[in-house]
Amino acid sequence: MPYGVVPNRSACAVTRFVESTITFPYKRSLGPVLGAFMTALTEKRILGVRNGQAILVPPMEWDPATGAELAPELVEVGPAGTVESWTWVPAPSEQHPLNQPFAFAFIRLDGASTPLLHAVDVGERASMVDGMRVAPRWRGRRIGHITDICCFVPGERPEVDGPDEGPADQPVELMDYLALITYRSPIPVMADRAREASLQNRLIGLRCPTCGRVYVGGTGMCPIDSIEFGPDAEIELPHTGTITNFVVVTPVQYPGQTETEPFARAFVLIDGFDVVLSYQPVIELPVEDLRIGMRVAAVWASAAEEGDRLSGTDQPLGNLIGWIPNGETDVNDPDLVNRVY
Amino acid sequence: MTPRRAPKTSKDIAVVGWAQTPMVRQTDLTEAQMLLRVITDALAPLGLTRADVDFTCLGSCDYITGQAFSFVTNLDAIGAWPPKRDSHVEMDGAWALYEAWLRLHEGDIEIAVVTGSGRSSTGDPALIYPMEMDPYVLAPLGADPVTFAALQARAVIAAGLADERSMAEVAIRARGKGTVEELLAGEYVREPLRRHDLPPVTDGAAAMVLAIGDRADELVDRPAYITGFDHRTECHNPAFRRLDDSPSTRIAAAEAGLGNGRVEVAELQAAFTHEELLLHHVLELDDDVKINQSGGALKANPIMATGLCRIGYAADHILDGGARALAHATSGPCLQQNLICILEGPS
Repeated sequence: MPYGVVPNRSACAVTRFVESTITFPYKRSLGPVLGAFMTALTEKRILGVRNGQAILVPPMEWDPATGAELAPELVEVGPAGTVESWTWVPAPSEQHPLNQPFAFAFIRLDGASTPLLHAVDVGERASMVDGMRVAPRWRGRRIGHITDICCFVPGERPEVDGPDEGPADQPVELMDYLALITYRSPIPVMADRAREASLQNRLIGLRCPTCGRVYVGGTGMCPIDSIEFGPDAEIELPHTGTITNFVVVTPVQYPGQTETEPFARAFVLIDGFDVVLSYQPVIELPVEDLRIGMRVAAVWASAAEEGDRLSGTDQPLGNLIGWIPNGETDVNDPDLVNRVY
Repeated sequence: MTPRRAPKTSKDIAVVGWAQTPMVRQTDLTEAQMLLRVITDALAPLGLTRADVDFTCLGSCDYITGQAFSFVTNLDAIGAWPPKRDSHVEMDGAWALYEAWLRLHEGDIEIAVVTGSGRSSTGDPALIYPMEMDPYVLAPLGADPVTFAALQARAVIAAGLADERSMAEVAIRARGKGTVEELLAGEYVREPLRRHDLPPVTDGAAAMVLAIGDRADELVDRPAYITGFDHRTECHNPAFRRLDDSPSTRIAAAEAGLGNGRVEVAELQAAFTHEELLLHHVLELDDDVKINQSGGALKANPIMATGLCRIGYAADHILDGGARALAHATSGPCLQQNLICILEGPS
């Protein structure tokens, strides 16, 4: 089959969605004021900060109205307080502090001028009343976190949930917060078609009918002419090219990093087309032997390998594993190095 | 030394057109695809192409998209070759409009395009928005916007500005369905809020075209001149605010010159029914002002475009022959940050 021609195939009828979960394990510095607040929580004490006549709880480093820095004059409040307002949570989310229905409430701790938002555990909605008195139920193992207070419970007397493991050994300076979000994103039809083609060891591009530029990876639009592409823009691309530039990455260990040795990523200019595949793996080639101008050929996963590369089926270039030297003489063109896109 | 201030009012910068995508519960399109289409839809009726656009500013949110630097992908939609003047705000498109309006004051360019875009259906808004709260004392509790909205609704009701019946009436006016009795028979999601008091989850995008001076007059019969524009913010933690008031809205309205004349229509970004009643009160709108004839955020709530759509509908009023319109946009829990835009027709 000549390059530049793609057999007719019907367009995918239904857009595919993929689900991915992103986690952001944040470690936050607390600073002098929130640090003291969190440290006090481990001691089963709640601190506010003086702002003129008012006591702000939780404490802030600055006046919320004017932004003026506050002297860090911390004042103990509570631990009991009065419910000023509340709303019932009949179906808690996985992020909420309690698994059973509860009230989120503005609680004015004794001695405070502002309410603290926290959960109140009363069992049922009918037991919640404005003005009710509540006190903290402390966690037995406290780490310096707002959830060291499990929730508030009716009455004047604080409780401890389980054995009391006591205060922190040292001032609390950092807190962990794990943000975890699951997304469900559409895969544009043209991207899916490019991926499907690559599962058949084919490399297809999309040629803009206006400017003639060719794009790979199923980019379904020309960002220069601002038009979308359909299947009739697809063209077949050759499986050989020239390395225009490369980078050698020395891996640092972070969650999800599987590489341990330095590895290369190369930029490959496809023969006969003005298309660069960026950040491509190279196969059976020591990183020290990589050269700009080197001639390479695409390496496709075999059917046997495919089974081991489940994640590969979700990659935009599916079965394309990387590029291997094809033995041809290097291209000597000093401008090649500029081609990374 | 007195700092040089951009003029607070100007007859020189106008909205000349805008477009929005279909507003749906879940779209098959990526954000870049939505933007590609909606920018074309905004420009084409004016006889303009992307080559005529001197400045773009896009409003979107990585947290909603689920992709770091997602606005870079969105640049595929603006036709940025040869390279263009471009900016981005991690805010509703209404704030992108504010930046473009400031940029046009420089006087060296004529046409700007602003957008707002978001696919709320990509994630679960109930789980994403708590993560945008105060990271020390609120986010770890999963303090969600509906909880805060309910606490604000209680304050607004206690102040005599709303009750569950008047809130249901707002919902009926916005969506054109149901009776007060039917709606009040529903269960509470967060007392005193029921399902009808909450906004829908909406995917969508909007694009707006701005032009200056004579260029605006060439493009349309009645440019919607931006004669007042201001935005203000309050403390991030709703527990430190008076929830039965919105001082930032009041200040922004005064600075934008709302009181300099009567407005015929008001488009208020009220995602919850009680917010519309509170804003109506704070803005001291007369009873004959037509509020949220578009259905507002209760009918379609494309996060990051909802505010820009309010300005679009207000501009439509001018483009269609009206004299003066108010648009409001908001951001953050319990109306934390508020923007007021006054639009006027040629006198």
